[in-house]
Amino acid sequence: MADLVNLTIDGKAVAVPKGTLIVDAAKTIQNDIPVFCYHPKLKPVGMCRMCLVEIGTPKMDPATRQVVKDDKGVVVIAWQPKLNTACTTPVSEGMAVRTQTTVVSDAREDVLEFLLTSHPLDCPICDKGGECPLQNLTLEHGPGNSRFEYENKQHNAKHVPLGDLIYLDRERCIQCSRCIRFQDDIADDHVLQFHERGRHMEIITLSEPGFDSYFSGNTSDICPVGALTTADFRFKARPWELGSSPSVCNHCAVGCNTTLNTRLDTKTGINEIKRVMPRQNEQVNEIWLCDKGRFVHHYTRAGDRLQKPLIRQNGQLVETTWERALDLVSSKLLGASSVAAVIGDRIANEDAHLLTKLVNSNAKGETRLSPALPASYADLARDYGVGVGFDMKQLGKGDVIVVVNGDVEEQAPVWFLRLRQAVVDRGAKLIVSNHRGTKLHRYAAHIARYEQGMAAQWAAQTDDAALSTEELTKARNVLFVFGDEKLDAVSARGLAQILVGKLVAAGQIGKPNSGLLPLYPHGNTQGVFDIVAGTRHSGNPGVLSVDVAWLVGVGDTSDAPKARFSVVSELFMTALASVADVVLPALSFAEREGTYTSGDRRVQRFYRALPAVGQAKPDWWAVQEVARRMGFVWNFASPAQIFTDLAANVSYYSGLGYEVLAKTESQWPPVGRDDLYYGGTGYENDGGIGVRYASNPSVISAPTLPKMITSMSDLKGPARKLYQTGELIKRSDVMQTHIE
Amino acid sequence: MAEASAISKLMRIPVGFATVLKTLLKKPVTVQYPDEQRPMSARFRGRHHLKRYENGLERCIGCALCAAACPADAIYVEASENTNEQRFSPGERYSKTYEINMLRCIFCGYCEDACPTNAIVLEPIEFPTGYTREGMIYTKQMLLEVPPTGTPATPQVTQPGTFDRPIIPFPAIDSSV
Amino acid sequence: MLKDKYKDRIAAIFAKYPPERKRSAVMPLLDIAQEEYGYCTEEAMREVAELCGIDPTEVKSVVGFYTMYYEKKVGKYVIDVCDDLPCVLRGADKFVNYCEQKLGIKAGETTPDGKITLNVVMCLAACDRAPMCQVNTAYHYDLTPDKFDKLVIELKKG
Repeated sequence: MADLVNLTIDGKAVAVPKGTLIVDAAKTIQNDIPVFCYHPKLKPVGMCRMCLVEIGTPKMDPATRQVVKDDKGVVVIAWQPKLNTACTTPVSEGMAVRTQTTVVSDAREDVLEFLLTSHPLDCPICDKGGECPLQNLTLEHGPGNSRFEYENKQHNAKHVPLGDLIYLDRERCIQCSRCIRFQDDIADDHVLQFHERGRHMEIITLSEPGFDSYFSGNTSDICPVGALTTADFRFKARPWELGSSPSVCNHCAVGCNTTLNTRLDTKTGINEIKRVMPRQNEQVNEIWLCDKGRFVHHYTRAGDRLQKPLIRQNGQLVETTWERALDLVSSKLLGASSVAAVIGDRIANEDAHLLTKLVNSNAKGETRLSPALPASYADLARDYGVGVGFDMKQLGKGDVIVVVNGDVEEQAPVWFLRLRQAVVDRGAKLIVSNHRGTKLHRYAAHIARYEQGMAAQWAAQTDDAALSTEELTKARNVLFVFGDEKLDAVSARGLAQILVGKLVAAGQIGKPNSGLLPLYPHGNTQGVFDIVAGTRHSGNPGVLSVDVAWLVGVGDTSDAPKARFSVVSELFMTALASVADVVLPALSFAEREGTYTSGDRRVQRFYRALPAVGQAKPDWWAVQEVARRMGFVWNFASPAQIFTDLAANVSYYSGLGYEVLAKTESQWPPVGRDDLYYGGTGYENDGGIGVRYASNPSVISAPTLPKMITSMSDLKGPARKLYQTGELIKRSDVMQTHIE
Repeated sequence: MAEASAISKLMRIPVGFATVLKTLLKKPVTVQYPDEQRPMSARFRGRHHLKRYENGLERCIGCALCAAACPADAIYVEASENTNEQRFSPGERYSKTYEINMLRCIFCGYCEDACPTNAIVLEPIEFPTGYTREGMIYTKQMLLEVPPTGTPATPQVTQPGTFDRPIIPFPAIDSSV
Repeated sequence: MLKDKYKDRIAAIFAKYPPERKRSAVMPLLDIAQEEYGYCTEEAMREVAELCGIDPTEVKSVVGFYTMYYEKKVGKYVIDVCDDLPCVLRGADKFVNYCEQKLGIKAGETTPDGKITLNVVMCLAACDRAPMCQVNTAYHYDLTPDKFDKLVIELKKG
């Protein structure tokens, strides 16, 4: 690398890319320069002064413009007379930095003494206590005592609700502005600002409702003190008491990596999720999480979770044993001439695979994805999707991002953050085309508009110069992000086909950062589709009439088949479950392990964090038990074994396995280790960063364009909002006021 | 030799009786525990008590530092939020659940050391006993001392702004004395 | 509504800035708001935010930062006394105490007759002639209790 800059930090030689800040350069050699206001994901401001170090540059002879060397030929360093902030100073060639001298440690002591002048020191009751940068750095670098009097502390409001998700403690705030900068630079919701100045400076919000942002929870992760805490975790547990399990969020196509923090609760007597924290995956969600993913988890311990199997007797659903329920289901399946399985798109790949396998043993067995609409274009999204090496971080100057018919902030919030950075910070060209305004419109170089439902027609007919083949050919990469909002199956597929056509015409196929990126409704739409697509499946959502239907995790879908006998596997008594003949209690994602395939085809593992509720069992177990009763010799002991079988049957997944998916790699910036002050309280990735499977190159050929659609069928993709009413979100008390 | 030893053997009988008689008149060293108890050292670490302030508010703020310090993992704390209408302790936080498993406890007193409000004290006045394992898990109600006479029990209704802070600083140590 | 009442003035202000930099107009617009309402009400801040296309939080932040934007009702005369370090070295802190005593109010408050508001502010760039104060826009230097008494009599008259 030509652009490396050499410097020494405490006598140790370091070579880092040009433009790196001293604090990051030091981090690469495990030299921890303490910081409060600096965050590797945010622009530096140098407000807290904690990172003061001694900086020197090679002494230059003013006459000859040559570096001065001493008698021994060693370069003489001209030390700057005062300390400088390591977080705002970029490295330069030959620079020398001293971080361990008395001057530096005295400065750190003084800065901490000042920061603590009005800090309430109520660590025992602070939710941050135990994972608090201020606590840790005071212990490491702070003075043993203070010259300020305890009684003279300035007292401020301690319990200020900024919104109903985030509380502010004004006394604890050290005015580092990390939260403000996150909102300004990353989320682009300017709802937090400083007010007043000097000692009276405080964080305010004046938005309606307060702290109106989908990303507010992240500010509590990066807050270096306990000033911003979430309403959800308030006084729930101390951080050191929590168990942690790696997991994956299944509420949208992004597939954010999370860590579930769990602890016993005396009210229910079993472990429950106390909070959901981001787990670093620089290729998926970096260290961010949207508020839905963070606060929606309460459904896992909702009081109305199904606990026992139910069967219909004399028109009533009555509790029964698993034995009887499974016997009934298997006998019905054995006698059925036609069978259908409808699989919800939050169901793990393993469950979908096993159920598909079972249903396809029937000569007239058919499997379907629910909601059905994405099945109309998911094959194109898979085969013409982004390449294996896709990383939104690499999108920048010369790249074209086209968002068609989707509201990325509402439907895939973390992709919004990352796309926005590609456009605003790194200069990618954004083209937005929609029938309504979205937040991404703010950054668009070019905006197109069409009538609601007419996305495919627009795409086929547009003579926009920005979307011409020449322009797209010139681009370094072309990324099409598209959604199915207000589209029917024909036009959704049509839209995808036209976009593929543009990619092919522009020669943008086969590049890692070019391709389609679909805004699927949930976290495993692609995975369930991949599994059902290889078998008898219907991407065509007409009403189906069968003998036995088995519906797994479909919620209250409108595309349930007509069935003489229906089995519903669910978490809750949905309307669909209440008319079923057998209802089987299922396990939520937190109570079992499995894999999900995200919208960009990354297969990721999630792990068991909680014990089961009641007699609820994982869906794969129920399917296998039914299959055994029907005479199949299935002996899958765990999802890992099922996944091996899946990889052997679904060609896209070949070569994948639980061990491969559990692999991690070192990530930059390092987050979630002991140095909480550096990156925040997000977790280190210890559960695997997942693997994106390759699209199938043999499928790539020029697609046929659809006929122009003149009539709309009934099935249309909804305008999905992040907080719309749903079976899961309505069980989260903290989210109530946000549900639209 | 054999005869002499026979006599000395016989002599042991009256000596033995004499000892018994002597002891009969003595006060016994054993006491009828638990009806009767020996005074313990003031520093003896007996059962835990959760203390209160003079106004009846609980000292415990539910910080769970005792649980963190406990080497036997005997303490379980769950916290909740105080309001002025329902105030258990000063400040924002109080312990909703406080349980000590006396079978696990090794009476080391680390919980006392860890407590920032001097709420938990091991006192030499009572010793945990019980017939069942469940009964040996002492709940908050069992551990909490009765409010000082004339003060209401918790929760109390308090004036806004009077009990904003959880930790009342300890008075400075007067080194002149 | 400011938008309707001061249509022309607002248009003239916006004309000074490039159309994509509407937020630059936030300070002159706040001047109008303060002129209209006497101080920057929350409603006014929201109006200005809407005009500039920014979040009301950002407007409030500007109002909070500058001492001459008021967030609560002020008297006819606003006495701003600087108590930064150089001024304090020349006795500004004692002078502030005297002002409070004389007016019978605390810094940041307004006299009951609604005439005078006393504020303690950051640097007014007149350290050499401290203690000093600013009454609305006029500077008064080298103040003593006597001078201040006369000033107050003067103001109470007006």
